[in-house]
Amino acid sequence: MLTATESDQTAVDLGASHVTFTFSDGAEHTLSIPTGSSILAAGLEAGLPLLHQCRSGTCSSCLATLVEGEAGTLPGSNSSLFASEMAAGKRLLCVTQARGDCRFTLGYDSTGGQQVSAAQTFVNAVERVAADVIRLELELAEGSWIDFRPGQFIQIKVPGTDQTRSYSIASTPAQLPKIELLVRLLPGGVMSEWLLNRAAPDAVVEIAGPHGAFFLREGEKVPHIMIAGGTGLAPMMAMIDQIRARPGRKPPILLSFGCTSEEGLFHRDALELRQHWLPGLSVQLSVDRGPASDPVRVGNPVEAVGQGGAIDPASVAYLCGPPGMVEAARSHLEALGLAPDNIHSERFVAS
Amino acid sequence: MNEASPIRRRTTVRMSTSDKRLNDSALQSQYQPYKDAAWGFVNHWYPALFSEELPEDKVEGIQICGIPIVLRRVDGKVFALKDQCLHRGVRLSAKPTCFNKSSITCWYHGFTFDLADGLLSTIVANPDDPLVGTAGITSYPVEEAGGMIFVFVREDDYPLEDVPPLSQDLPIRFPENSERFPHPLWPAAPSLLDEGAVALGLHRTGQSNWRIACENGFDNAHILVHMENTIVHALNWVLPLGILPDHEEPITLTEDEDGPKGLIQWLFTDRWKPVMENPQLGLKIDALNGRFYRTSVVLPGCLMVENWPEEHIVQYEWYVPITDDLYEYWEVMVRVCKTDEEKKAFKHRFDRVFMPLCLRGFNDCDLYAREAMEEFYADGTGWDNEQLAATDVSAITWRKVASRWNRGIAKPGKGVTGATKTSSIRLRRLAEGKAPGYFVEKIEDVNSY
Repeated sequence: MLTATESDQTAVDLGASHVTFTFSDGAEHTLSIPTGSSILAAGLEAGLPLLHQCRSGTCSSCLATLVEGEAGTLPGSNSSLFASEMAAGKRLLCVTQARGDCRFTLGYDSTGGQQVSAAQTFVNAVERVAADVIRLELELAEGSWIDFRPGQFIQIKVPGTDQTRSYSIASTPAQLPKIELLVRLLPGGVMSEWLLNRAAPDAVVEIAGPHGAFFLREGEKVPHIMIAGGTGLAPMMAMIDQIRARPGRKPPILLSFGCTSEEGLFHRDALELRQHWLPGLSVQLSVDRGPASDPVRVGNPVEAVGQGGAIDPASVAYLCGPPGMVEAARSHLEALGLAPDNIHSERFVAS
Repeated sequence: MNEASPIRRRTTVRMSTSDKRLNDSALQSQYQPYKDAAWGFVNHWYPALFSEELPEDKVEGIQICGIPIVLRRVDGKVFALKDQCLHRGVRLSAKPTCFNKSSITCWYHGFTFDLADGLLSTIVANPDDPLVGTAGITSYPVEEAGGMIFVFVREDDYPLEDVPPLSQDLPIRFPENSERFPHPLWPAAPSLLDEGAVALGLHRTGQSNWRIACENGFDNAHILVHMENTIVHALNWVLPLGILPDHEEPITLTEDEDGPKGLIQWLFTDRWKPVMENPQLGLKIDALNGRFYRTSVVLPGCLMVENWPEEHIVQYEWYVPITDDLYEYWEVMVRVCKTDEEKKAFKHRFDRVFMPLCLRGFNDCDLYAREAMEEFYADGTGWDNEQLAATDVSAITWRKVASRWNRGIAKPGKGVTGATKTSSIRLRRLAEGKAPGYFVEKIEDVNSY
């Protein structure tokens, strides 16, 4: 311990070191960090999604593995790691400083300090909510767990095949171990074939996740605009329910949701309930093809935004649907004055 | 995941009232948030103590919505912090230790917290610890009105800048609402926020879920339980058997943007019909000698009974959740007293008549009645199995409006009193004859256990 402290103190004169962080999804970031600074503090300041909690060398949330170079414990700090763990390259980034250029690997991906994991689930329910949409409810098996942010998606291994498919989660983390998905049926699709012919309660399904950088930004109080096409409604349901449950003043939300025809509009009851529970939520329903009865309008969900009154240019927007819709929505919102950085989108391709 | 291990269904079932709903209707879904609020609605103003219960420099520990809270009064001002030390969760109030006017110190390891913001200001035996100044415990905004201390019970991450004024969680006021909600049979009810308002009352612990208690307060069919109360006979009141809604709008919602959120019942108007007779049971009321009153309720569960028990007095009640099966029952009478004489007279009548015959006597009946319903609802099944009737429009309306406007559903208490119903300490205290309650159990004598 004494030698380590001595060498740390001499290292203070070395200036800055280049520290590289490698996330589990391969993403790499290199920062220039002054010697004598906490690597965690510098990383967080630079906006890296580093997991952490106590920031005092105790809880081990910020555990990383040193794979190149040298790094030691900050003078005056203590790490709760064993000497054997330190010898194996383990470091707690909050109390670690670089001694020259070095590289760390992290056990989680770069989409928000989350660990991507595989999990087993059981089917709880398979429910047809429209002619071409199925609501699939899964429940994590004993010993399985994933975490996610509202808006993110998971991959499903279609049972009995070697194919995987990606679906946004329609439920919130608070509802775990239950996970709800909205799946669009496609003629001849492997997932559709499984859902229609074989999926039943208690079937076992393997999933992996979470994935994606499309998730609800916390703490935003400006108006939220959500534009969803078809099963692009799924991540919006998760975000709306998350906003409803989170503490603090709720932002106004405008959800513009479109489907091809009125028969195909699903989840109308679910949206009505959300409107009852969340007074600041307004919902605009659109269908590409008429006829449609009030309040459903004929047209696309993109052009509906801004028709009922001016849009606050400080709004944040979330878009999810087919690529064409997402592109159109992005240009439409930018034309209405939204900053490109405030428009988050997820496009899906039929498979 | 180990491929060889069998994949099993989860064995731990989460408490959820929605899973096995036997009476699955859209109506029930509309108040699902209310059904989920077993531990109360959080991020609201709740009464914590009467002002006189917290004299200068006194420290008290209580629990609201599963959140332990410690209060200390310094130079007249009341401060409230989470009563759970950052370090190892010890309740600061169990053995109050304060070395100066601006902090409270955990009596166990000396973690010391700033009263104003909850930040860890020092540790007795480790003043240079890096946690100092960076970590802390949650602080709670405090207001005092009419002799009552109110605390804004918030989740740890509820922003302080979003805390609404106390008036948004207290009943609507008169005469400013007299035109909207006319009351020709009595003078405008006073408010706790009126100048010169004096609140006299008591608070005690009830053994039921707070929602059961709250719904009892404005349940128009429960007059029956009060038929034989002494106050009714002493003042020669003749109450109807019950009252039934007889109008398309027997209840009006109060949902003003910056006002309290709740409902008001049009009692003693043509919108509610008194039931005078039940021939089958041979019951008949000949001449009503009405006590005219009106009930309203606002989030987070504050009842107002106007013109009760006599003119110029209003009765307020709160059913403050402590855990999911305990609540602190507040019964408070408010009167505006402009002079000390008026105050003295009110206090005298309160002590001689209202306390024994109304807040005890009459309202004791309500405590029995709530307890009688508790077991049916305690495991969550009662919310699905109840069979509500026409008079229950009041309860249903409240459930819906509360589902819509609450500022958060309290999560089941974690690491707090009453979170584990069968902890050995709880059982020992029961064996010692101490029922679970609202206040912290203090360490009185440091030399004896």
